[in-house]
Amino acid sequence: MSMIKKLNLSDAAEVSRFAVLLAFVLLFVFFSLASPSFFSTANLFNVLVNNVVLLAIIAFGMTIVISAGGIDLSVGVSVDVASLAFIALLASGSGVGIAVCGGLTAALIVGVLNAVLITRLRISPFLATLGVLFIGQSVQQIATGGGQPIYLVTGEFAKLFNAIVRTQFIGLPTSVWILVLCAIAVYLLLHRSVFGRYVRAFGAQPGVAWYSGIRVPFNMSMVYIACALLCGIAGILLSSTVRSYVPLSGNAFLLDAVGATFIGTTISTERRPSVIGTLLGVMLLAVVKNGLLLIGWNFYWQQVGIGALVFLVLALSFGLRGRAH
Amino acid sequence: MTQQSNLAINMHGISKSFGPIKALVDANLQVERGSIHGLVGQNGAGKSTIIKALAGMLKPDAGSIEINGKTVTRLTPANIERLGVHFIHQDRLLVPTATIGEAIFLRNEPGFGIFVNHRKMARRARELLKQYFDLDLPAGTLIQDLTTAQQKIVQITRALAQNASVLVLDEPTAALVKREVVSLFNVLRRLKQDGIAVIFISHYMQEIEDICDTVTVMRNGTDVGVVSPKTTSIDEIVRMMINRDVGEMFPKRTVAVGETVLNVSNLSREGHFDDISFDIKAGEVVGITGLLGSGVKELIHCLFGLAKPDSGAFTIDGTATNFSSPVSAVSRNVALVPEDRRAHGVALSLSVRENISIASLDRYSRNGFVTPGPEKSAVDGFIRELSIKTPHRDALVRTLSGGNQQKVALAKWLSCQSKLYVLDEPTVAVDVGAKIEIYTLLNRLAAEGAAILFMSSDLLELVGICDRVLVVYRGELTHEFQAGDVDSDRLLAAASGARSQTGRAAA
Amino acid sequence: MDDQTQGGKTTRRRASIGSWGIRLGAISCFAVILAYFAFTAPGFLSFYNILNVVEQSAILGVLAFGMSVVIIGGGSDVQTGGIDLSLAANTGLCAAVFATTSNAGYPVPTAVLAVVATGLTVGLLNAIAVVRLNILPLLATLAVMNVVAGSELILTQNTVISVASEFVSGLAMGSFIGVSFMAWTLIVFTALMICVLHFTGIGLRLYAVGGHPEAARAAGIGVGRYLTSTYLFSGLCAAIASILLVSRLSASTPGSGELLLSVLAAALLGTVFSRRFVPTAGGTILSTLFIGFLANGFQLLNVSSYWVNGVQGTLILLVVAATSLAKPSER
Repeated sequence: MSMIKKLNLSDAAEVSRFAVLLAFVLLFVFFSLASPSFFSTANLFNVLVNNVVLLAIIAFGMTIVISAGGIDLSVGVSVDVASLAFIALLASGSGVGIAVCGGLTAALIVGVLNAVLITRLRISPFLATLGVLFIGQSVQQIATGGGQPIYLVTGEFAKLFNAIVRTQFIGLPTSVWILVLCAIAVYLLLHRSVFGRYVRAFGAQPGVAWYSGIRVPFNMSMVYIACALLCGIAGILLSSTVRSYVPLSGNAFLLDAVGATFIGTTISTERRPSVIGTLLGVMLLAVVKNGLLLIGWNFYWQQVGIGALVFLVLALSFGLRGRAH
Repeated sequence: MTQQSNLAINMHGISKSFGPIKALVDANLQVERGSIHGLVGQNGAGKSTIIKALAGMLKPDAGSIEINGKTVTRLTPANIERLGVHFIHQDRLLVPTATIGEAIFLRNEPGFGIFVNHRKMARRARELLKQYFDLDLPAGTLIQDLTTAQQKIVQITRALAQNASVLVLDEPTAALVKREVVSLFNVLRRLKQDGIAVIFISHYMQEIEDICDTVTVMRNGTDVGVVSPKTTSIDEIVRMMINRDVGEMFPKRTVAVGETVLNVSNLSREGHFDDISFDIKAGEVVGITGLLGSGVKELIHCLFGLAKPDSGAFTIDGTATNFSSPVSAVSRNVALVPEDRRAHGVALSLSVRENISIASLDRYSRNGFVTPGPEKSAVDGFIRELSIKTPHRDALVRTLSGGNQQKVALAKWLSCQSKLYVLDEPTVAVDVGAKIEIYTLLNRLAAEGAAILFMSSDLLELVGICDRVLVVYRGELTHEFQAGDVDSDRLLAAASGARSQTGRAAA
Repeated sequence: MDDQTQGGKTTRRRASIGSWGIRLGAISCFAVILAYFAFTAPGFLSFYNILNVVEQSAILGVLAFGMSVVIIGGGSDVQTGGIDLSLAANTGLCAAVFATTSNAGYPVPTAVLAVVATGLTVGLLNAIAVVRLNILPLLATLAVMNVVAGSELILTQNTVISVASEFVSGLAMGSFIGVSFMAWTLIVFTALMICVLHFTGIGLRLYAVGGHPEAARAAGIGVGRYLTSTYLFSGLCAAIASILLVSRLSASTPGSGELLLSVLAAALLGTVFSRRFVPTAGGTILSTLFIGFLANGFQLLNVSSYWVNGVQGTLILLVVAATSLAKPSER
């Protein structure tokens, strides 16, 4: 009896593994047929550069945090402060290297703040990062006099940003290569390193990690710091892409990053977040967004579509997992 | 069949399996009105499973349940109380943020219509506590601020306040002091006269003898007899509880005892245990036992850095040690196989490989990256060595049986090459075959020079595999028995606090 | 991480002293800040200004009660416990529904009915996701939030839809015994919440469901039904708040989603007034008014509103950190 049940269950899990991939392929084909401009090099290139790169890097950070059983609502703040520091340093005449370091340092501060709140003060990740989100918004408003963007559009800066974002290397722009590097780094960290094993243990059963003599506070801190640093990279890329710092623009990535990560968990039988899964989730969201736009859905409908899609995937993921328990 | 009309509870032919483990096999439980019925058996004998079946918390695979003469087909936790059956669970099912009054009257709040009369509720709660237990507690106190014993009393009072016709008490006295036990027993006797049926589950055999009219003895998932303590001696009952046919269960061994590995001196933790001293040498398997609430659990937690002693000290390999967390304990080669396997022992949603290597990844990594080759071969080695039954090393631990999960938890520490193994109830919910394998493994570890502290409530296994057995009673180390100088009856007596025992009586 | 030592008697006593300290500390912290405003901001303590703050807090207050009820029923562990992130977006959608139906010429009762139906539908969606599909409330309501926010944009095309009707202006301008209808709404709502949450069996059982679902189930309480009701109630709160919002602005405007953080802050900050560290009606209204006074005081002092968010965030963190450190750590 129980054997049969188990088989059925793993079958259901097996089927749901390919559901996202199937959805991705179907939507891809559908949009290609529905809109002639969808399946063109220019459009796919545009989707990759504008919709995938930034979200994927942020979602990688979220993947680490969710793997560890937490959540980071302050990813937007990390993105924004990195962008602010980067642009502000450039505007004040600093070199690119210093500006990049400044941006990453700003994000690092957010990560350390989260880590301290969560591991030292034992605030639940949700509340801690929510508080940081509040504070981060205020800091930006105060720093920019209520949300004034900083534009750097002069020729010299334009050249610089082009160098960062658009210079092609083997046919792909730098930003895509940065994404590839981030993916490899997070893959190694999460799936190949000792740290990654600890992260998985935190997510699976924190009690076991603690009872196995793992330094939980230290490693948990690293989880939030790594996430913030990835968001920092995304923030620098974002401001290079739009050639400015626009306050409070990072928060738009939050839901998509969480959604992409959870969509990604469905490709693993064990429902684990993974780099590949998250990347697939990000691409699915990007294709849906772009496709809906091309077949004439406006931004508002896109939001409904994405929300409904995430809802469905969560229902599938949690529904099947709930049955497994 | 004719006198069934007088039965408050009639559970017949109950069977229940959890995957490959048969928790109940054709078990029966019959309780008459106006009687106190004991339910005894070793851990894993099926006591708590049959109680959970009665509580509607799990659905039996087969069998029938009659309550007050009526066959009940759909039992749920929601409707069982309406049938007049109340449970005092071992894990205190009380809302921690509720006040005493709210906890006692939850869902039966005194008041007017939908409105609750808080003052009346508090007053009646106070009256009931005073009436039944002569206990004067402000009814506004929060449950989370009460001691374990007080919480237990609140739970019992809750059942009494609702005019139960059947009262099921699972280890009700574990955390109570003598005075509270006496008043509880007085209450139970009064209830019995009122025609209420009481099911009383306890490890304290003395209490069973004191209060029960009849006793159902369970072993290996079924009832092996219904006796009266008036006519059957406690020894007899214990003999029925313990399966005598397992003479070959405990492998013999001879090990030369080495240096002292663990030395505990005058260790105390307020409210849990007091002034405990003992030592363990390399090659020794030392058993330790004590009833729920005796403080033995907290003692073990102190040895692994999960709790801090208030005073006293312990040394490992002669070096004074003060563990602030399991991190330092593991770094000193102390291993703990915890009681709650699913919460602390193994991560069910991780693979066998990930579980075994989690505490010793520094052995299988270079520059922070796991080296899969050495890890895989080491894990395969442990799977073979401990004959862990798993389809492959990357199967999730969830899919393994209880015994094999426990072997994974042990393999985790073997992989660390630990020196001191602290085992907390390692054979609970483990089938007999795997138990023997675990005993053999412990013997082998001891032979290789490890020191083993084996905490168990299964007295027979303590007698069977330990060189010495320590007994903790109400926070004090009262007895120390040598192997060959003790049997399970004497251990049980010592753990239950009988005074007329030989051994090292420190109290 | 949470696996700390077991709480013995001493820690319990210390914890209960600690919890008193926090409650007193929180109240005195509030008092000090209000006193500071009273001394520095001209007219801060005037009857007119206080009434003004109550009036301005009405929308936040109603929503905070909705959030509080969800947190009470789902447990105050905010990661796995109850939370409704779609509350503010729902308010926006309801406001849009009210504005469009009113402008389409439907009578007021029909418009109100449509609003209530909208609010309850969103609540039901959350309830199904959380209770039936077992999705974490945090994630479920996050997804619903997106759908709802998108629907609002579709309905309004991201524009301000002004509403001019006697009902709306009456609600905004009207008063009774010198107190405006807006303020009355909050006062009556608060009274109702205090009554239901703290003086009825329903409230008691709701707290039990959130405090220990297993214990509640063992006591025969229908946990699923209670949870469903909390999400429906928060949907209803969104509907009520949306009518207040439209009355106040004489229009439905995009961007009500930004209310979410303040609503969360009010509901969570309120927990410090309870010795059980759970949301209470009294605690929620106190922290709502505190947030209102904070914004008002900053306004009177001409301090930029940019600080308000940061101060709120810092306060939440302080309070929660103090709470988690003072709590007797279980397990």
